[in-house]
Amino acid sequence: MRVDIELGINGSRSRFAVEPDERLVSTLRDRAGLTGTKQGCKIGECGACSVIMDGKLVPSCLVLSASADGADLLTVEGVAQDGNLSDLQQAFVAEGAIQCGYCTPGMLLAGEYLLSRYQRPDTAQIKEAIAGNLCRCTGYTKIVAAIRKTAKKRSLVKSSAQGR
Amino acid sequence: MKCTVVGKRVERKDARAKVTGETIYPSDRSREGMLWVVAVRAAHPHARILSIDTERAAAAAGVVRVLTARDVPGENAFGIQFHDMPVLCSDRVRYLGDVVALVGAESRRAARQAAALVAVDYQPLALLTDPEQALDPATPALHPGGNILHEVHFHKGNISVGFQKSAVIVERSYQLPMMDHAFLETEAGLSYFDENDVLCVESCGQYIYRDRKQIASVLGLAEEKIRVSAEMVGGAFGGKDDITVQIQLALMTYVTGRPAKMVASREESIVAHSKRHPASMWFKTGASKSGKLMAVEARFLSDTGAYASLGGPVLNLMAEHAAGPYLVPHVKVDGHVVYTNNGFSGAFRGFGCTQACVGIESQMDLMARALRRDPLAFRQANVLHQGDAAGLGYEMKTAVGAEPTIRAARAGKLYRQRRRIKKDRTHVSPSLAPFIRRGVGVASQMQGLGLGVGIEDQAEVEVVLGPGGAVRVKVGTTEIGQGAYTAYAQMTAERLGVPLEQVEIVGADTGTCPDSGATTASRTTYAVGNAILLAIAKLEQRRSAWAAQGTGRENLSARANFTVPTQDRQLGDGLPHLLYSYGTHVVLVEVNTLTGEISVEAVEAYLDGGRVVSPLGFEGQSEGGIAQGIGYTLFEEVLLDRGRFLNTNFDTYILPSSKDVPTAIHTVPIEVMEKSGPLGAKGISETCTVGVAPAILNALEDAIGIRFVRLPVRAEDVILAREESPHES
Ligand code: FES
Ligand code: FES
Repeated sequence: MRVDIELGINGSRSRFAVEPDERLVSTLRDRAGLTGTKQGCKIGECGACSVIMDGKLVPSCLVLSASADGADLLTVEGVAQDGNLSDLQQAFVAEGAIQCGYCTPGMLLAGEYLLSRYQRPDTAQIKEAIAGNLCRCTGYTKIVAAIRKTAKKRSLVKSSAQGR
Repeated sequence: MKCTVVGKRVERKDARAKVTGETIYPSDRSREGMLWVVAVRAAHPHARILSIDTERAAAAAGVVRVLTARDVPGENAFGIQFHDMPVLCSDRVRYLGDVVALVGAESRRAARQAAALVAVDYQPLALLTDPEQALDPATPALHPGGNILHEVHFHKGNISVGFQKSAVIVERSYQLPMMDHAFLETEAGLSYFDENDVLCVESCGQYIYRDRKQIASVLGLAEEKIRVSAEMVGGAFGGKDDITVQIQLALMTYVTGRPAKMVASREESIVAHSKRHPASMWFKTGASKSGKLMAVEARFLSDTGAYASLGGPVLNLMAEHAAGPYLVPHVKVDGHVVYTNNGFSGAFRGFGCTQACVGIESQMDLMARALRRDPLAFRQANVLHQGDAAGLGYEMKTAVGAEPTIRAARAGKLYRQRRRIKKDRTHVSPSLAPFIRRGVGVASQMQGLGLGVGIEDQAEVEVVLGPGGAVRVKVGTTEIGQGAYTAYAQMTAERLGVPLEQVEIVGADTGTCPDSGATTASRTTYAVGNAILLAIAKLEQRRSAWAAQGTGRENLSARANFTVPTQDRQLGDGLPHLLYSYGTHVVLVEVNTLTGEISVEAVEAYLDGGRVVSPLGFEGQSEGGIAQGIGYTLFEEVLLDRGRFLNTNFDTYILPSSKDVPTAIHTVPIEVMEKSGPLGAKGISETCTVGVAPAILNALEDAIGIRFVRLPVRAEDVILAREESPHES
């Protein structure tokens, strides 16, 4: 017995027939073909499956797809606009915050989520914000730097816009 | 030599695709009509198989095929060094990861449900979980050759004379844990027959050509009928050096003709794949009153678990690095690596050096302390230089950067200001300040580069010049995250004088790329880099010949093969090395004596891997290596109880998070150019992690006066040790 659900993914809405116990990460990867969302543990510990659901950062491995019916999702595929990398994506590239890249989608969304709530997070806040996202390759240093630089850039843009 | 692309902070070639989610990893691959494959693994860590009944599983809804040993057409065994791991067990299982059946079904769910229906009748056998017991010839053997996989015995000089000449002698035993690679992407892949009837396996391995050979022998197929690729992989660190899913996938596709996909769950991954060898080590070392190292004696007992994997070579490297980067006249090393039913261990970044370094660098600190000498000055006074005799007696013939890394560390801020930094409490609240202790510790290390004497170590590449200045470099090594493809592209652009954007790296596919050897042993920048430069030299020769004849050509390609040079004398499999990379780490730790909590506050890493090709990659390797070192020292241990794994996911197998790794990491390149290296380069992807553990242990003693000899050191260990410590402060 399948459950019919509708998801808004990166701005477009689609319908899926999912198993009652299916996790959102599987619906995204196996049914929607959006493999940018990764899976590292399936128990909510690694953050590789992080997506933004109705404005909140969630581990999609712990969300039942059936319960996400009607939700709006942002996955890594929706971060760049018309092929242009977001400032945070650019910072990840420029700072060298990516090695194998398997944690990157989740890290990016955790970073975006933080920046949507705080204008100028300090290092401790950044570390806290990505503490649920494991990275085995980078040692986090350059990821933290990429988020910090993006925050700084955004708040400069904002204050100069306000100054005008 | 001045470089314009090499040594520049360029962005990674693969970064853009990774940041948008476009990169396709093995676990992302799929194909029309594919089966999901699930492995049925052993229910006992050691048992005889009396019968395997697949009837119910095969009849379950959605199941297409259940495979057992009978379905293996060729050799039912594989392994890097020895073919001792059964593809599918028929008579006996030796660890919980052993596979008895493979289920192929229309969905993952169906495959998983059917896997539970495979009925195996086991007769449990006596467990062998204590490595000491494995040494006893009376213990029943896990393999025909007995329970000792390999032993080493080396003696240089005269060890008793060495101790007679020592004013200070230090003796300690060390216990090191089994560690999981915890690559974020679990073992995964896809297999299928292409339109030419070639069996394709798109997977996650670290050496596509060796994988192909092993698949071929299991299937009884010609290698040309098989194509293996592994371009972008979500981390490996040695844990994907052994075959994981490749043969299982190939077998399912071979038997059913259908595409097949596998993705291991984390729980399965931690049980099934290799680990860092747990080991017990005993060290006795001596130095003269004037601070000269006189003697190093070491004994190792390493546990390779159920199968050989690379247990022999790992033990060899422990022996090779037992005396550290130091000049020691008298050295004696004895070691055994044994079989048990404790999972199985194999390659892991550091490859034996990690273990040995914990011993020798703890000893160095203890001796410096006993002699009342500055720990780095003591190391510097004993360090190896080019032309010296290494621990096992052979000559250090290539560039040796050990001393410059120590000198730079001594001049660095953390070390120079350590007294002030240790007293600093400005960052903690006044109420907590009395409970805070800080300490600074150091460690120096060297790490063999390449596979060592006696193991074929070649890299072949092809460089293709296309129209409009486009350059394609075909390499057989995998991009496991280390950034090697970017380094290859930089070296190519540098030598050809073309912009980096024009260079494309085509990677890791036996169908299109030559055999560049394994993606292991810190070898790829050096070996593949050299092969690329050789191929370019060939191209330029041809180009100038044509220019002389007045005939231009647009499409031009050249292949070249580079063999990693070795020492002339062989002391064992892969022993010794001719080339090494070097490093010295300085670490600041802080201990909360109330809670026992340890935090690493700052790290300075002085690394010599010759010329730095890609600074961002270099720093990234260093930072990631430090994080892994912190995990090894403070958190990570695969726990086994009578052969059963207790912590198989990240809720109980704890990895360092962003809060456990300092942002204050300062990586300093010490570029001692290696003449035989491409543009002077070697590699650092292992040496960057090796010294971290002992540097932390040394910092802990500096902070709280306690010498820890067992990893990992957890908060409760600090509390307990302080309770037992005579001079508890
Ligand atoms: S896969 Fe969801 S948190 Fe790890
Ligand atoms: S880059 Fe590999 S896990 Fe983060």
